[in-house]
Amino acid sequence: MDIMDKLQILSAAAKYDVSCSSSGSSRKNMPGGLGNGHQSGICHSFSEDGRCISLLKILFSNDCIFNCAYCVNRSTNDLPRASFTPEEVVQLTMNFYRRNYIEGLFLSSAVVKNPDHTMELMVNTIEKLRLEYRFNGYIHLKVIPGANPSLISKAGLYADRLSVNIELPSNKSLKLLAPQKNTDSILKPMNLIKTGIIQRAEEHKSFRRVPAFAPAGQSTQLIVGATPENDLSILRLSEGLYNRYKLKRVYYSAYVPVSSKSLILPNSAPPLLREHRLYQADWLLRFYGFKADEILNESFQNLDISLDPKSDWALRNPGIFPLEINKADYQMILRIPGIGVKTAQRIVAARRVQKLDYDDLKKMGAVLKRARYFITCKGKYHGGINLDSELVRYGLSASFKLEEANNSNWEQISMFQPVPALSASY
Amino acid sequence: MIYIYDGSFNGLLTAVFEAYYRHEEPAEIRTVINHQINILDDTSYIATDTDKASRVYEAIVLKISEYCLQDIYYTYLSNFEDSGTLVYRYLKLGFSVGKKLNMYQAHESVIAVRNIVYKVMGERHRLLGLLRFSKLDCGVYYAPVSPDHNVLELLAPHFAERMGDQDWIIHDTKRKTAAVCKSGTWYMTDFDSNQYDMVKENEADYQAFWSSYYKNINITERSNINLQKRNMPVRYWKYLTEKQVN
Repeated sequence: MDIMDKLQILSAAAKYDVSCSSSGSSRKNMPGGLGNGHQSGICHSFSEDGRCISLLKILFSNDCIFNCAYCVNRSTNDLPRASFTPEEVVQLTMNFYRRNYIEGLFLSSAVVKNPDHTMELMVNTIEKLRLEYRFNGYIHLKVIPGANPSLISKAGLYADRLSVNIELPSNKSLKLLAPQKNTDSILKPMNLIKTGIIQRAEEHKSFRRVPAFAPAGQSTQLIVGATPENDLSILRLSEGLYNRYKLKRVYYSAYVPVSSKSLILPNSAPPLLREHRLYQADWLLRFYGFKADEILNESFQNLDISLDPKSDWALRNPGIFPLEINKADYQMILRIPGIGVKTAQRIVAARRVQKLDYDDLKKMGAVLKRARYFITCKGKYHGGINLDSELVRYGLSASFKLEEANNSNWEQISMFQPVPALSASY
Repeated sequence: MIYIYDGSFNGLLTAVFEAYYRHEEPAEIRTVINHQINILDDTSYIATDTDKASRVYEAIVLKISEYCLQDIYYTYLSNFEDSGTLVYRYLKLGFSVGKKLNMYQAHESVIAVRNIVYKVMGERHRLLGLLRFSKLDCGVYYAPVSPDHNVLELLAPHFAERMGDQDWIIHDTKRKTAAVCKSGTWYMTDFDSNQYDMVKENEADYQAFWSSYYKNINITERSNINLQKRNMPVRYWKYLTEKQVN
């Protein structure tokens, strides 16, 4: 089998791995070496599904002994099998990198023979890249569940990022769909990587030259929509992974049916909008100071598909709003729908030298279509409709135009009130 | 009063210097190339003076900030006709408020410059990824680009650091200039190529590998061409290996 055939099979087999990022590492180049890390990551292309291509994302092999129901490479699936040699992966990586096609290598694999054998082949490949070919570009290595801890420690020396896939949001689903994997075989290596990273950071305090251990941290991915878990339990899981395992990213992957005959798996189109809402909620956890239990709770267990999670949260907590943009503190400004981290920072900087009004906000990057209902500027409310009105929910959805609503006879009561009267029921 | 400068960064800084010391308030600062002569305009040609320019340069760093210097340099590199005037107004505010300039996020001059800086920085970052080298017969790696803004010298240091062990040329086909890297050091030069169309036999292999990879990594069930085009505007496809019809 020639390289082209292998590349076709093993890149198509890797496409369901969602992680694409090449950020978090500022690895330096060395004299006579090739490549370096770029802290914020670089996208090198975009495929027709709109996803970014940053790394050469391939499987080392798709010849799997496992039979996970959701996976295209499961052992009972009838499809061509192929395996690279370490040298082939190295040549592809080096030559793609020299032409600026890629930011580095993302190497994953099916389980060939046994986890240790597979992991060893993968670690050998990246060791060759780093030591023999002096490659300093980004390397993301997938950890095979059940692999020997010493192999994982070695992988951390050469990879920028390590990841162990959690695959499904609960142990029960894992048992059902991936009987050869279990939560233990996933969380153990995760913990090991976490400890490795912390240990190295500690050593770094006392010794000047300590080789980095997975400097871009670790990430994971889980499949959404293959099993019945609700969004609340997924967000709680992510929160736990961020807080307890210090993960950099949790990726969510809308389940794409890989078998039309499955009895236990849904055979519907991938729930892309749900995936999108989960990412939005994930951002709220990581950058906006939200807790999972604030975004959802026992009476709202799933994210509203028609509305972004921040707007939805704001509508469920109208007592907090409207916030005066010239007074509210930074943490609260971050919670206003339509205002992101950058705009919030600008607002806090700008109001030290001037009072801000409604027009200023627009120029500073706020999305007023959403923010208008939740703020006052110098005491004036620009929302037009009462905050506790059902019309606001409609107003926040994509196709709404306030002017049209004004022309219709829907809700004339509170149209010209400067500040909405908040009802006491909240 | 309209100031006309030669189009160099030093020329622009000299114009700012003159405005200050002549106690004038130029309505516009334009380059020779952009200026359309109109006999009704009151114009003054500013002769570039490196001494005056470096005084302005140092004053910016000392009295305002390094960030401000970067902002005006990026604005200068943009293709906006009126960038000189915007730089002047931005610096005028900067010299009056000093280190507090970064707080004036709602000020007209700051917003105007920021919007341009974002465009230039954005294009630079985009091209860090979208640039495509091909290996020529002589062993040199060659990448053509035609950016909206004059970002070549913002790209070059990145590739010099990253690929210092290979000789390369990044060619701005629109402005007919190039950044050339030889043995790890790079320089800017005027450049017009026709002789670099010949690429090595071997090159076809890697281009085919890459195009094939590009096709195979796509999940057809998730097709979203609008998202693809938003992230990677079609005007950049011209030189993308994976977007050439084979």
